Amino acid sequence: MAYIINRLLSVALTLLLISLITFVVTNILPGDVAMVIMGTQSNPEALEGLRESLGLNDPLIVQYGRWITGMLTGDWGRSLVFKEAIGPLIADKVTASALIVVMSMSIALTAAIPLGVWAAVHRDKWQDNAASTTALLGVSLPDFFWGIMLILLFARYLGWLPSSGFVHPAEDFVGAVRHAFLPSLALGLGLMAHLTRMTRSTMTSILGQEFIRVARAKGLTERTVIWRYGLANAIGPVMTVAGLQVGYLFGSIIVIESLFNFTGMGWLTYQALLNRDIPLIQSTVFVIAAVVMITNLIVDLLYVAIDPRIKLP
Amino acid sequence: MTALVSIDKLRVGFGGAAAVKDVSFDIAPGETVCIVGESGSGKSVTSLSLMRLVEFGGGEILDGRLVLDRESGPLDLARADTETMQQIRGGEIGMIFQEPMTSLNPVFTIERQLTDGLRMHQPLSATQARARALELLKEVRIPEPERRLRQYPHELSGGMRQRVVIAIAMACRPRLLIADEPTTALDVTIQAEILALINRLKRETGMAVMFITHDMAVVAQIADRVVVMYRGDVVETGPVAEIFANPRAEYTRALLAAVPRLGEMKGKAAPEPLRLVGDDRAVTPLTPRAVPEPLLEVRNLTTRFPVKGGVLRRTVAQVHAVEDVSFTLNKGETLSLVGESGCGKSSCGRSILRLVEPVSGSVFLGGDDVLAQTKPALRAMRRRMQMIFQDPFASLNPYMRLQAQITEPMKNFGIDGGIEKAAELLDRVDLPRDYLRRFPHELSGGQRQRIAIARALAVSPSLIVADEAVSALDVSVQAQVLNLMMELQADLDLSFLFISHDMAVVERVSHHVAVMYLGRIVEIGPRAAVFENPQHAYTRALMAAVPIADPATRKLDGDLRFKPIPSPIFPLDHQPAPSVYDTVGQNHRVLKEV
Repeated sequence: MAYIINRLLSVALTLLLISLITFVVTNILPGDVAMVIMGTQSNPEALEGLRESLGLNDPLIVQYGRWITGMLTGDWGRSLVFKEAIGPLIADKVTASALIVVMSMSIALTAAIPLGVWAAVHRDKWQDNAASTTALLGVSLPDFFWGIMLILLFARYLGWLPSSGFVHPAEDFVGAVRHAFLPSLALGLGLMAHLTRMTRSTMTSILGQEFIRVARAKGLTERTVIWRYGLANAIGPVMTVAGLQVGYLFGSIIVIESLFNFTGMGWLTYQALLNRDIPLIQSTVFVIAAVVMITNLIVDLLYVAIDPRIKLP
Repeated sequence: MTALVSIDKLRVGFGGAAAVKDVSFDIAPGETVCIVGESGSGKSVTSLSLMRLVEFGGGEILDGRLVLDRESGPLDLARADTETMQQIRGGEIGMIFQEPMTSLNPVFTIERQLTDGLRMHQPLSATQARARALELLKEVRIPEPERRLRQYPHELSGGMRQRVVIAIAMACRPRLLIADEPTTALDVTIQAEILALINRLKRETGMAVMFITHDMAVVAQIADRVVVMYRGDVVETGPVAEIFANPRAEYTRALLAAVPRLGEMKGKAAPEPLRLVGDDRAVTPLTPRAVPEPLLEVRNLTTRFPVKGGVLRRTVAQVHAVEDVSFTLNKGETLSLVGESGCGKSSCGRSILRLVEPVSGSVFLGGDDVLAQTKPALRAMRRRMQMIFQDPFASLNPYMRLQAQITEPMKNFGIDGGIEKAAELLDRVDLPRDYLRRFPHELSGGQRQRIAIARALAVSPSLIVADEAVSALDVSVQAQVLNLMMELQADLDLSFLFISHDMAVVERVSHHVAVMYLGRIVEIGPRAAVFENPQHAYTRALMAAVPIADPATRKLDGDLRFKPIPSPIFPLDHQPAPSVYDTVGQNHRVLKEV
């Protein structure tokens, strides 16, 4: 229990710190909300009037207090570009992107774990080299390259899947999956590379351990030895790395969603940055940070469930 | 009688190099055959080949036959297919390994690890398998067997884990048990228990045992027949009494000469080097000076380590690692701290050098208070006290040439001499001078430990703390390093604080001995007094557990069970009683029980 409280406290503290940094940085940048709303050519007096009414002339700490109170009570303000309440806007886009995140992670894990295990079992043989080369290819080529290749192959030549666009999963789930598939695959290829290498190195060290020899000495089949005795021990570290990857994933979806014109969280962040929609920037950054941290918290708690050696004190 | 296993001209290679060259021997039903040899002798590879597990480590059986006499007739395991081998592994041959800490899968329960092998070989329901697993745990005499089934490996002590591994190997009543160094990683009392257990199981089930070890004392205790291996070949085979009384091969003689035997120093006044085969130098005992001159005086030394816990990571308890320890080490003498793992002997050595900070007490080296020194003064003082560690593979920097590593401490303290002095130090530890240009990985374990000694000697210390300095070495190398240390002591008037778990080695090298238990010295005195007239119950238990390298004095039988060592962790407000001693002889003191 102390462990969970510890972790929750540290998540809360980190989020508070992130909110402070985002707020300060967005305020230091030249041009404030009033300037964005009225444009650079506007009348200085009207600008000043708007500043006063928006409370932009108050000390920064007061402004921050007002903003963070709003965030905590559910009043996230209005987007300047979309002219909508930010809360519902983000909620909508997060669901859309969640589909991509979950799908790309599933694609990556279902491919990476067997590939990594296969490489570890055939260590230093051609299978290992093949897996390492595949992994290296995935890491070294950027996501958008895979995105373009996939669009060309699946949308243009084969015509199996839509090349771009977005369908909300609440309206048409199958359509949503069809639209999310190519962006997920593009992201999954990069992720898979990291996870394959991680699975390989973890499995390699586990297969060298004495309990694997004991399992073989019992007469268990190789399948049981590798997929039960081995993988049960490797899954924890792989999950941890997968959890950390979620952070990178949110960086990558900004590019990928724009490429596929998939209007999710990444696309929204990009629009916010492009248009200097300061309230929206603050909120998206905050939400992404929260999602990443909560994912990692869940992974750590899963780890406790998988590995009996880690006890919740 | 036909042999149960007949190994004939076995040859095993690892990527070109042959680890086993030409090995032949038989194992009869119900007999214990010990395969003995030093590292690299091929003894483990031979046993792994018999199980056909050697392939998983990159090895390959190149030639030879491994005939197992099965119920359906003899079968050459070297040519058996995968399915047949899976039936034999765990079904007809069980195997146990060296490291009980890593022999069990950390994420599965004990029950699962016992039953999955059982159900592999026998048509048992889950309930039947569980009942059999419980029976097995009782057979290996694990306390509270029902509870153990539900537990995970990390919840069990090392000795208990090795019992579980034995239970797994015994699950299907194998006709042969292969034990590959099963007690090497265990404390001596646990070792005695496990050896007695294997002996009892062998007697009760009539199985044969193939026991791989490097320890001649263990061989003497349990073997019926002995196979001596050296660099991939069998050099000698024979009944155990024959091998010990009348070794024919040169190598066996050398090996036996290098083994210190508990009790062989009886009646001798001072430590003396081992008489090694091929070394005709006269053995001179190390007589201490007539009037002892104290060098190191330790009084009431206490060291504790915090145990952290809770949300704020506060100290919630303390490990009482060293508890009110006092002793005096004289110039030119060796005092040994001996005890089992966790008894505080290493923490004590480190506290004296202030590698860990003691809580209280005093340490005087040549009249100077070590614990009162400021950081720079302590640094200067370290010149007078050096340390040699257990693992010579880890204590040398792999990226530095040996010359740089030996001269570094001299540079540190502004001592002149440089390369010339380093070369002289290599002469001193019997290594060729051109080794100065080498890197640590080019040296063997024994050579590295010599370098570690040379490095310690570089600053001409008066005290050397040797923490298990010979424990990781092969027995012949261990003997050479021990002899070197004794020779250096005689020549340079060195004092050693010798920290070890090995009673026979301690008996060989010490002037004084202190037995440690739970952070305290329970008995201290001149070597002869402690070894020939042990007074404390723990010293006696330790002596009873040590195997003796003499097949005529067998003692590891029946059901041995030593009292487990309690935890040294206490709450913060715990006030331990001071150590009070009864004097039972001259300088021979025994801890009064509280």
